[in-house]
Amino acid sequence: MTDSQPLSNQTALRDGNVLRRVRHLGSARNGLKEWQVQRWTALALIPLGLYFAASMLRLATSNRLTAAAWLSSPVPALLVILFVLAGLAHMMIGLRSVLVDYVHTRTRLLAGELLVRGATAVLIGASVLAVLKLFLGR
Amino acid sequence: MSQQRPLSPFMFPIWYRFQITSGLSILHRLTGIALAVGSILLAWWLIAVAAGGKWFAATHELLASRVGLLLLFLWSAAFFYHLCSGIRHLAWDRGHGFELRSAYRSGYAVIIATVVLTVLSWLYVFLA
Repeated sequence: MTDSQPLSNQTALRDGNVLRRVRHLGSARNGLKEWQVQRWTALALIPLGLYFAASMLRLATSNRLTAAAWLSSPVPALLVILFVLAGLAHMMIGLRSVLVDYVHTRTRLLAGELLVRGATAVLIGASVLAVLKLFLGR
Repeated sequence: MSQQRPLSPFMFPIWYRFQITSGLSILHRLTGIALAVGSILLAWWLIAVAAGGKWFAATHELLASRVGLLLLFLWSAAFFYHLCSGIRHLAWDRGHGFELRSAYRSGYAVIIATVVLTVLSWLYVFLA
């Protein structure tokens, strides 16, 4: 396998990994780590997601409790932040699976990756900032 | 220079009947994508709550409108489905439930649980 040829647009997912040659120890990619993070976040999202859903039901039916008041207390703020972190990490890994399944050219895959990673970063940042603003009361 | 290779015929629904296994599998992916789009709404809502005032009022009005409620209903159904189906997947990851009969039973359980959770939630919203 030579390194002098430019990487083809058609073989986005089949190019050999140079690192594998160097390390001699099986795959040099991160598939297993991603698979595990997906399962850990899924497990965390069972209680966190149910808590979030129950909280939304409570907010929708309460006459006195407002969303702003609810998020300015520490336990809801913490659990919502954890929900956002776990949920969006889980989302990003899931969307990457979808991309890898349906996008077959290198440039489009790169564009898709940039879009998904960028959107996830912005959504996580904005959500955490919003909750912190409510919790810290500024 | 992309070669036009022959494609296999799209198997659903003519040559390959939907089964509960394949149907729930693609539904798991579709609800995942729907929830991903919904996460944008989640972030928007959190920002609106933090901003308060006009933004929050406008957002709340949108969410409480008929279209908004319909979207929330669909999103909640997607959420409950993805949750129940996800638990089914986690059981598979531990090695449980691969027998065909078990897969069918857990599949029906997922559908029933989704319907029950969604209906109960919205009954609570409208009656409590």
